[in-house]
Amino acid sequence: MRSFRGRTFIVGVAAALALTACGGSDTSSSNTGGGLEKTTINIGAMPIADVAGLFIANERGFFKEEGLTVNAKIIKSAAEAIPQLHSGGLDVAIGNYFTIISATERTPDKFRFVADIYQSKPDVFQIVVPKDSPIQTVKDLKGKKVSVASRNSIAELAVANSLRTAGLDPKNDVEWVPIAFPLAPPALKNGDVDASWLTEPFLTGVQQEQGARKIVDTMTGAMADFPIAGWVAMDDWTKKYPKTMAALQRGLLKGQQIAAADRKAVEKVLPSYTQIKPEVASVINLGSYPTTLTPARIQRVADLMFEYGYLTKKMDVTPLLAPLPQ
Amino acid sequence: MIRRRVARGATGVAVLLIAAELAGRTGLVDTSLLPLMSTVLARAAELVADPAFLADVWGTLIVWAAGLLIAVVIAVPLGTLLGSLPRAETATRPLVEFLRPIPSVALLPLITLLIPDDSAIKMTAVVYAAAWPLLVNTMYGLRDVDPIAKETMRSFGFGRLAVLARVSLPSAAPFVLTGVRLATAVGLIVAVSAELITGGTAGVGAFMIRAGAGFRTDLVLAATLWAGVLGLVANALLLELQRRAFRWHAATSGELS
Repeated sequence: MRSFRGRTFIVGVAAALALTACGGSDTSSSNTGGGLEKTTINIGAMPIADVAGLFIANERGFFKEEGLTVNAKIIKSAAEAIPQLHSGGLDVAIGNYFTIISATERTPDKFRFVADIYQSKPDVFQIVVPKDSPIQTVKDLKGKKVSVASRNSIAELAVANSLRTAGLDPKNDVEWVPIAFPLAPPALKNGDVDASWLTEPFLTGVQQEQGARKIVDTMTGAMADFPIAGWVAMDDWTKKYPKTMAALQRGLLKGQQIAAADRKAVEKVLPSYTQIKPEVASVINLGSYPTTLTPARIQRVADLMFEYGYLTKKMDVTPLLAPLPQ
Repeated sequence: MIRRRVARGATGVAVLLIAAELAGRTGLVDTSLLPLMSTVLARAAELVADPAFLADVWGTLIVWAAGLLIAVVIAVPLGTLLGSLPRAETATRPLVEFLRPIPSVALLPLITLLIPDDSAIKMTAVVYAAAWPLLVNTMYGLRDVDPIAKETMRSFGFGRLAVLARVSLPSAAPFVLTGVRLATAVGLIVAVSAELITGGTAGVGAFMIRAGAGFRTDLVLAATLWAGVLGLVANALLLELQRRAFRWHAATSGELS
């Protein structure tokens, strides 16, 4: 009898858990908040400094003011967000300009950037080598293994830019090794790769803890102040939810303006959605947080991708950008 | 007896932890890459007081428990059906043998395309992985029923369902519970793996992504430790349940694990 009751109890608990789970995943689309088509937005973000504006906006209630509930979901890479944008699991996600422009050419998907996120500044993306490496300049990378976060990405474009500037051929002169950022420091230390293209907080990490050495800042020349990522949605989504999109854009913009103007605000919000130590957050190199989304700037990405052979033909990026609310 | 077993187990764990600590202290392992075991343990202890991490653990528990429950609800009746109808079992065997080896995690891209909710994606992966040990154990449990007991029931004029309810199911129950234990272990593995791949709002795996992106290997490993503890506790609870509920079975078969 006792065991029977025990089993009943377990089933009860499990059922309760299942019910809680169902309750938690409710995506409301009721019409409150000034005629918005939907009031709950799932937004896919990577736990990196780029998206500080989103978390500032959420923390300070800028979305609430617009009648929106914004759930930030952690994703590992922007490419992984695309299936979830399709399925509706995510409404909006961080999208690297490179990845989205490339997908626009290669797939029938139609995307729209609804806001800009991040733009490079000096020393935010560098190629580093181990402390005792014989490699001194980019020219020495000939025949070496270089790790990038992923192939066919802004990472590869940035390294290719530095290689070409140094007179090397990106296609043949180096061996590309795709390694996720968190795994690159051990690969560099163990000699699995000769050089790594890294960003923060890994740059500061490998320099402080392993004595790794910078050989080049990749975001110079053709890639100075280069657009990195924006908030992207499917074109259908933006047409179906125009008012929701405008409300989201207004909220994002307010957060972005604070991120752009106040580095301390970024440092303060970083530990809330990443596990960066506060003392690291205060020393890392940060990019800039653009508050506009102008075709001329984003066009540079498509043009450079075409020039370096990552696009088969020239592309006009204007249709990729959603209009910003007035 | 049990106390001695626990003591031995604890000794084993302690030796491993000390060995890991020494490997770091003596420079055998580079501590800038792999933090000292004492650092990891300290971080793991701190995580207990971190509300964000607790929310992540809660997220994993929900996906795990709900996934298991759904798997039980689907796989146990199905296993009962296939286990008591040999012809149906033969007909479905090729399908089962084809589907069973597909790693649940490899289905994530497909599941992600079909299901628009991030908890539901992970639960589906857990259900898929957990259903197989449940199905197979239930089927074997039913096949293993003492034929004399069944025949005796039948000769007393009991129908098929009565035989199933009074002889076959009680006799198969210990096998089903073993299936639940296996499914629980697999379920945790898949829940955390799915979180590591898809991220999401909460989960131990999502915590590990955030920690990794913050270059905090110490926190990644601390979370790994807690994932292990979750599995250990769940298995211990189920073993205890199995011991209490099926004392008769363990005693008759002499299989006291």
